[in-house]
Amino acid sequence: MSSRSPAAAASVAPPYLRRRRPLGRRLRRAFAPYGLLLPASAVIAAVLAYPLYYLVRLSFQHYGLFQLVRHKGEAIGTANYTEIFHDSVFWHTLLRTVAVTAVCVVLTVVLATLIALLLAELSSWVRLLLTAGLIFVWATPVVVAISVWSWMIDFEFGVANWTLTKLGVGKFNHHDWLANPWSGWSVIISLIVWGAIPFVAITLYAGLTQVSRELVEAASIDGASRWRIFRDITLPLLKPIYVIVISLSIIWDFQVFNQVWLITNTTPSPDYYVMAVYSYVTSFKISEYGLGSAIAVVMVAIMALISVFYVRQMVKLGDVE
Amino acid sequence: MSAPLAGAPLAGLRPVRRRSRRTRARRWGVDALGLLVFLVMIFPVYWMVATAFKPGGDIIANTPVWFPTHPTLSNFSDAIDRPYFWTSVRNSLIVVVSVVVISLVLAFLAALALAKFRFYGRKAFIVLIIAVQMVPLNALIIPIYLVLSKAHQVDKLSGLVITYLTFVLPFTIWTLRGFLLGVPRELEEAAQVDGSTRFGAFVRILLPLIGPGLVATSIFAFIQAWNEYLMASVLVHSAHNQTLTLWLAGFITDRGTAWGPLMAGATLTALPVVLFFVAIQRRIAFGLTSGAVRG
Amino acid sequence: MRTRIITAVALAVALAIPASTASGGTTRASASSITVWLMSDAQNGWPAAVANATSQFKSQHPGADVNIQYQSWDSVLQKFDASIAAGDTPDVIELGNSQTAKYMAAGAFQAIKAKNYPNSSTWLGGLKQSCTYAGKTYCVPYYAGARAVIYRKDLYRSVGARSAPKTYSKFLTINKKLMKKYGRNSNFSAFYEPGQNWYVAMSFVIDYGGKIAVQKGGKWKGTLNSPQAIAGLTAFKKMTLAFSRASKTNDEAHPYPSIPFAKGRAASFIGNGWEWPYVFNPKGGAAPASFAKKMGAYPMPGRRAGTFLPTFLGGSDVGIPSSSKNKSLAADWIKAFTGTASETMIAKAGNIANSTKLLGVNAKNPSLAPFARAATYSWFVPSAPNWVNVESSNLLKTMCTAILTNRKSVAQATATASASITKILNAKS
Repeated sequence: MSSRSPAAAASVAPPYLRRRRPLGRRLRRAFAPYGLLLPASAVIAAVLAYPLYYLVRLSFQHYGLFQLVRHKGEAIGTANYTEIFHDSVFWHTLLRTVAVTAVCVVLTVVLATLIALLLAELSSWVRLLLTAGLIFVWATPVVVAISVWSWMIDFEFGVANWTLTKLGVGKFNHHDWLANPWSGWSVIISLIVWGAIPFVAITLYAGLTQVSRELVEAASIDGASRWRIFRDITLPLLKPIYVIVISLSIIWDFQVFNQVWLITNTTPSPDYYVMAVYSYVTSFKISEYGLGSAIAVVMVAIMALISVFYVRQMVKLGDVE
Repeated sequence: MSAPLAGAPLAGLRPVRRRSRRTRARRWGVDALGLLVFLVMIFPVYWMVATAFKPGGDIIANTPVWFPTHPTLSNFSDAIDRPYFWTSVRNSLIVVVSVVVISLVLAFLAALALAKFRFYGRKAFIVLIIAVQMVPLNALIIPIYLVLSKAHQVDKLSGLVITYLTFVLPFTIWTLRGFLLGVPRELEEAAQVDGSTRFGAFVRILLPLIGPGLVATSIFAFIQAWNEYLMASVLVHSAHNQTLTLWLAGFITDRGTAWGPLMAGATLTALPVVLFFVAIQRRIAFGLTSGAVRG
Repeated sequence: MRTRIITAVALAVALAIPASTASGGTTRASASSITVWLMSDAQNGWPAAVANATSQFKSQHPGADVNIQYQSWDSVLQKFDASIAAGDTPDVIELGNSQTAKYMAAGAFQAIKAKNYPNSSTWLGGLKQSCTYAGKTYCVPYYAGARAVIYRKDLYRSVGARSAPKTYSKFLTINKKLMKKYGRNSNFSAFYEPGQNWYVAMSFVIDYGGKIAVQKGGKWKGTLNSPQAIAGLTAFKKMTLAFSRASKTNDEAHPYPSIPFAKGRAASFIGNGWEWPYVFNPKGGAAPASFAKKMGAYPMPGRRAGTFLPTFLGGSDVGIPSSSKNKSLAADWIKAFTGTASETMIAKAGNIANSTKLLGVNAKNPSLAPFARAATYSWFVPSAPNWVNVESSNLLKTMCTAILTNRKSVAQATATASASITKILNAKS
């Protein structure tokens, strides 16, 4: 490091340039963060504050179509919650959602990491191709992606059935992918992971480019293996980004709705219920808005519990010296 | 010891080493792997585009037609002729550009506050940001509709923009904060030594440094706003206010969906996002090379 | 600095103006305009009928505007519910005839006097039932669809059937011969019957004298586990497993049977009149237009000689939401839309019009006449307010799948289904 670099200068001077500042400037400094936060918070609060309060209030009411027309719910205390907790469908759905989320998140993060590392190693034209491919996958509207996948696994003319039969994997002619929940879920999970990988891979790759090349080279010249380099240098530097993408993946996958809903042609059997689908069916299909809201509130509470760990990590990481 | 610029495009500045045959073979192997991953990931998209160019008889075929040997543009003309195509494109563009621009500005400011300042309530705000993302969207359809209706924002593009902002902002703030945290403090200090205000330092120094972060979040905001379906389906009543995704959804759910025009419409719907990426693709490299000197 | 602020504000305003004027939201219910929600089927199938109604309405009310907003089936009810909650409902709305009971019972519709509406004395019984609740009328029947068998005349001829079967035993014989001759191709079905096509399954139940649910003393009871219903479902199962290679977990719209039919994978299927053109739609169905020469249709024979298998009379009604601010204008538009002129156009598009007077409209059209004939034997769902919740829960579809895949015996499956139906229909609203 040359002694003329700013970093060198900073290491000599104290971290904070302690100078007495005029009062006005001090006040401005104190209020600066709030001012910076204001616009974003205003937008979020305007749209979400009342709906969130309304959601919780609804969960304590009996609110069917009858009540909807009259704009007045019937307060029933915690009866909705009691009803949910005594319903076996609720518990099965909850378990299924947790399992599906776990599988999706693990697959997504692992595969995306591998792809991000691969991206860093490729020749520039292949990298451009792969990145463009990832973007195109990410850009494909969910509604369309699901119909393409439905078409690929089509009972009569699906290309997946034809290919698997030709490859000798088994007899897939007229294979009904959704008949058996295990095979149905493997299709849905593949679809979710396929759609989730691009974002995570690209974000991780963006983070990778910020890893100092010198450090990596120094380590490899010193004889460290690629795995050691990844584990000891890259991973710690990428930790904030990993925390972000993993928590986001958990949050998004726990709430997954479109993929399940559309691939079952909006008529899923209880074997395919996840929490978001269960809540939606309860609210909009049988018009029990109170009950549906209670399910949604339970969903949020569970996710909050799961992410307590990550929140603590985030806050710890975010301490500004 | 060689001292390449940190953050420079990795491709351009490899250490000067004699390219042994083993390195070259490894290079080909890696590239081949990259191509394989590309093919696997892109296949469904390829299938969509290929189907868009096939005539009906090739789409519903006993043996799949892998490559459209009799390509036709009739599916595309059918899709475009379907009512409200161009209107939907215009609506989607308006909504999406607004969401991307506004969310980047607001999120950068908020991320600055969270990453570079200590203030009372910071932790609470971070928790709130995470918490807001945990609320399932489809549980809030009716309450959000109620709020927007009171503000006369139902069936208006501005109503959609505000709703999408709400769902895009938390993530964007959180991600930009993560990128900002990765930038060492010395750099701001360096700028302030030069006499600029703290905010000026933020904009001049930090903004270019988190270039990749801005790119990633703008892509995210673009795609979220472009592809959103559930809220739009409830909030939009008139056909001339629909977004491209709604237009497409109508295509799918109509009786007797014809796969050819549907896939053509889908391809057209996905196109702008790809163009957007191509447009900002150069910005990624720019952001990287214009990064500050590190040591 | 000042110029920058001004520029910024000007820019914001400039962006906001197109955004807000780009919406049509302000053409809401004023005294001189109405908002009409119709399903996209109208836009694609019979736009002339809609245009005719609107022009008739406009000549009656010269200053008034009609704002038609086409909806899709999968999102219309959510939108309707949301609009009810916010108080900005449309003035006219189309609902499926199995969905109206719930909304009528909740008071979402305005009661009307049937005699003020055209052809009300000759409204089809099944449709009229879906518009009546507690002795009052709340909506107007709009159209219905009946199902008949669409078949390949050439394949039938190849097994010696020169004309369409008129009895169920003849039907069985023909299909057995078809399976014997072509069944070795594992893609071939003599009679393509998707497993979750519960309309056909319930048709068998009704044909054998069973009922889905009955009401006794104010309480509903699911009756699919009655001996007659079980007999009907057993016959359905036998027929389907013998003649159909269709998916047992897909319903009759995924895919439309017309698609495999067009590819030669099926000799016949049960469908609505508007599914006929899908077969040789060169974009979707992949059969050339000449294929039509090989096609024919006949009403599915019933168990007893001289009867048809009762067809589900699915259809739509139009009504006025109770919170509409333009009820009399809305009523006039509905009168124009369900009058003889528009209804004739709707019938010609392949549907059953709402009045028995118009049943003969398609009598001379060989591809549509069998469907009108099939409508003479029809059934409809129990008129319970909560019926649509039974449909939304998909329990009839899953019951069919369980029966056809042998996951449950007919007796077990119907017992579970009946218990669920009883619970849902009696749930407090």
